Amino acid sequence: MTSLPPHGSLRRRSVLRALGIAASRAWFPGLWFAGAAGQPAGAAEGELTSFEVVRDEDGVFLGYSVNFELGKGPEDALAKSVPLFFVAEAEIYRDRWYWRDRRVAHATKVWKIVYQPLTSTYRVTTVGGLSQNYPTREEAIAATSRSVRWKVAEAAQLDDGRHYLEFVYRLDINLLPRPMQIGIAGNPDWQLSVKRTQRIA
Amino acid sequence: MNDEPRLGAGGPEPPPLPRRSRWAWIVSTLAALGAGLVLAFLLGIATSNPALYERHYVWLFWVNVALASALVAVIVIAGVRMLWRVSRGRFGSRLLLKLAAIFALVGILPGVLIYAVSYQFVSRSIETWFDVKVEGALDAGLNLGRGTIDAIVSDLATKTRLAAERLGESASSAEPLSLERLREQLSAREIAVVGGSGQTLLATGSTTSGLMPERVPPQMLRQARAQRVVSQAEGLDEEGTAAAAAAAGASARVRAVALIPSTNFALGEQERFLVVTQSIAPGLAANALAVTNAYREYQQRALARSGLRKMYIGTLTLALVLAVFGALLLAIALSNQLAQPLLLLAEGVAQVARGDFSSKAVFKSRDELGGLTRSFAEMTTQLSDARELVHRSVVQVEGARANLQTILDNLTAGVIVFDRNGAIDTVNPGATRILKLPLSAYKGRRLDEVAGLGGFAQAVWQRFELHAESPEAGERDHWQDSFELQFAATADGRERDSITLLVRGAAMPQGARLMVFDDITELVSAQRVEAWSEVARRLAHEIKNPLTPIQLSAERLQQKLGGKLVGADQGMLERSVTTIVNQVQAMKTLVNEFRDYARLPASSFDALDVNALVVEVLGLYGTAQESGRLSADLAESLPAIVGDGTQLRQVIHNLVQNALDAVAEQADGRVRIVTEAAKNESGDVRAVRLVVVDNGPGFSEKVLKRAFEPYVTTKKKGTGLGLAVVKKIADEHGARVRIANIGAPPDAAGNALADSARGAQVSLSFSKLATTVRVAANEPVATSKAH
Repeated sequence: MTSLPPHGSLRRRSVLRALGIAASRAWFPGLWFAGAAGQPAGAAEGELTSFEVVRDEDGVFLGYSVNFELGKGPEDALAKSVPLFFVAEAEIYRDRWYWRDRRVAHATKVWKIVYQPLTSTYRVTTVGGLSQNYPTREEAIAATSRSVRWKVAEAAQLDDGRHYLEFVYRLDINLLPRPMQIGIAGNPDWQLSVKRTQRIA
Repeated sequence: MNDEPRLGAGGPEPPPLPRRSRWAWIVSTLAALGAGLVLAFLLGIATSNPALYERHYVWLFWVNVALASALVAVIVIAGVRMLWRVSRGRFGSRLLLKLAAIFALVGILPGVLIYAVSYQFVSRSIETWFDVKVEGALDAGLNLGRGTIDAIVSDLATKTRLAAERLGESASSAEPLSLERLREQLSAREIAVVGGSGQTLLATGSTTSGLMPERVPPQMLRQARAQRVVSQAEGLDEEGTAAAAAAAGASARVRAVALIPSTNFALGEQERFLVVTQSIAPGLAANALAVTNAYREYQQRALARSGLRKMYIGTLTLALVLAVFGALLLAIALSNQLAQPLLLLAEGVAQVARGDFSSKAVFKSRDELGGLTRSFAEMTTQLSDARELVHRSVVQVEGARANLQTILDNLTAGVIVFDRNGAIDTVNPGATRILKLPLSAYKGRRLDEVAGLGGFAQAVWQRFELHAESPEAGERDHWQDSFELQFAATADGRERDSITLLVRGAAMPQGARLMVFDDITELVSAQRVEAWSEVARRLAHEIKNPLTPIQLSAERLQQKLGGKLVGADQGMLERSVTTIVNQVQAMKTLVNEFRDYARLPASSFDALDVNALVVEVLGLYGTAQESGRLSADLAESLPAIVGDGTQLRQVIHNLVQNALDAVAEQADGRVRIVTEAAKNESGDVRAVRLVVVDNGPGFSEKVLKRAFEPYVTTKKKGTGLGLAVVKKIADEHGARVRIANIGAPPDAAGNALADSARGAQVSLSFSKLATTVRVAANEPVATSKAH
């Protein structure tokens, strides 16, 4: 799949999203107290090594693989047995020339990685409650950072119009304990986020 | 007099509290709300449920921020307003500012102090939570648990490997009995022999009661194949809660997998694994999990330390801000509250200073300030009443003074008040009129200084002194005397005017002296008239008696001696007798006139027509009328008057004769006699007036004053009784006589100044009318005035 040429509505969406992120950042009072503690420009960068959207008669399926380095902060936290949360979020929008694009489908996956010092294993738990132990961090992260044929939408949810898919994979700090959120707000180490917007064929 | 309700219980309502205080109420409510939120905030901290607090932190924070912003806005508005008032010099704003500043200081200072202490406390205490020792202890605990479990795992691995080797050496393959024996030997929970693909070949143990033993993951089998033995702890997974940890502890176990070596190398022989599962003591597992959880929590908190600190300090700061702003607002509201009665009072004072004594507003409170305003309002009322009273009495005094002044001004008597030094203090117009001197111009000076009054003043003063020293009996508080004042009427002193004054003196308080005097010249004149008439009557009587014998004797002499004498003697006799007779006749006339004056015949009053009388008398002056010197101008339809015809005829005769005499020497002398009816405002005839006008030289000033006294005359011949008789008859008729000069009076020498406008006029007003019942009733003064 090749990425589509820039499209007006896509731009608009991304601008709105940027605003949303800015707002969510301003949301944290810690930022308010400490002043602007850092810029997301220095955030740990990740990359999508593969990204595939497939639409067939069963629905829309997404396959992806993210490759990233954990920042020092999250790595440290993970080593200290603090659980980390990774979220993959996919949203499908229907183009509308007369209004904001309509969201037709939304799918989320959440992984929780925690180091168990007693057995020196990394345990990965998904939202559904399935969990698995991995002896190394790399294996555990690798398990969270890829999906194959993830069903994002039913076929009925899409019509004949033009659709596009927005995908975000990020380290979600909103699920951390609140004081910790306040403590790390604005810290670029924790700003891991990979995005991709793709037109659905 | 003025009993309308004033202040006090029934007084007017005080004005409603201004919107300022309503505003203060809103602000106070806001502040109370803020305080409540802060309390909720602090409650969240105080309760040992940090999770709840942390969950609600953000929205609480923003609500508080919003509230703080609202408070800031309100305070800024209030402050700007207050400063604006101060800069405008609005009344009371300085006091308000001062009070607000004081209250604000009282509110803010402790708040800031507490904030500083709390800030230090929070930041230090949060740091103290994260102690190296605690961290070390947790680490040690964790390591302890891990070491124990590792020991168990490796021990089981060794044992399992040995057991597997023994199993492999004893070719008797696997028998359930030996397996069971092995299980007991290893005190394992479960022992199984599985095939290369993980299928269970033989199993024994507590869990075999129904269920197949747990399948061994292929990964483990692979490892066991490579390393001969592999073991791991299971069921120690993190589940978060303590209950889950306890449950996990119950199912915690160690599993070891070892390859059973094959002794016969027959091909196709299936490789087998010995799987030994051993329980970990539940207490140990639970403790190890608890330590793990605590460690995790601790690490989490350590990581969140700065956030926590920010959170607490943010809470504190917000609390401070809210408290300070609340304090500021309360300060403004309270100072308003406190300043209200003071401002009311001050405003009232300012109003009173401006002279506004209207009833003042009362601050309705039971404290001393309210009492102060109440007292002030009462005081103002009393002041107002007192002022009104003073004003009224001043008005009364003014009225009395005006009254007195009016009385004084219209008093015919002259009044002069001297102060203690003898200087003139008060003079009424009467005094000026009587003395004919501008006395009011001499106010503050002594009476001696008035020209022509030196002697009079001296005499009066002496009399005052005398009275003061030795008051005569009967004049305890005043003295009375008559003085004759001589005025040099002309420069050459030819005519000396004199007036007679009756002076009464009295001492007034504070050494002042009062002098009241009347011009009694006319009175004296009347007395003189009276005396004259008495003299005339006696003289007439005494003189008339011998006259007839004298005349008769003389005529008899002529009769007897007339024929005997001849020549010159006879002539002389005749001449002498004629002279005697003529003179006696003249004497008789004189005496008759005296008699007429002194003893007029008793009047007999009848209704008379004045016009008829005039015509009758004028009949005697035919020549004068014909020559045009005398003319009559009679009003028609004159009402009849009550009078004595004979006497009135005499009056008219006298007047006409006088007038004709006055113009006798003038070629163009004219005399006019006029009758007319004087009417009052309603048109009724008040009096009948008879006027005789001539264009002669007029009367001199001196004569004018005493014209009605006998022997006052301007004629060379005449008794001077004419006008005296007129006056007397007029008095008897209740008529008023007026003498006046027309135009400019003649100068001292009697020369007329201007021919056209001069002459004399005598007018008689008869107010007793024949049909005067109505008129008399209307004009009682007219009849009584005549006397």
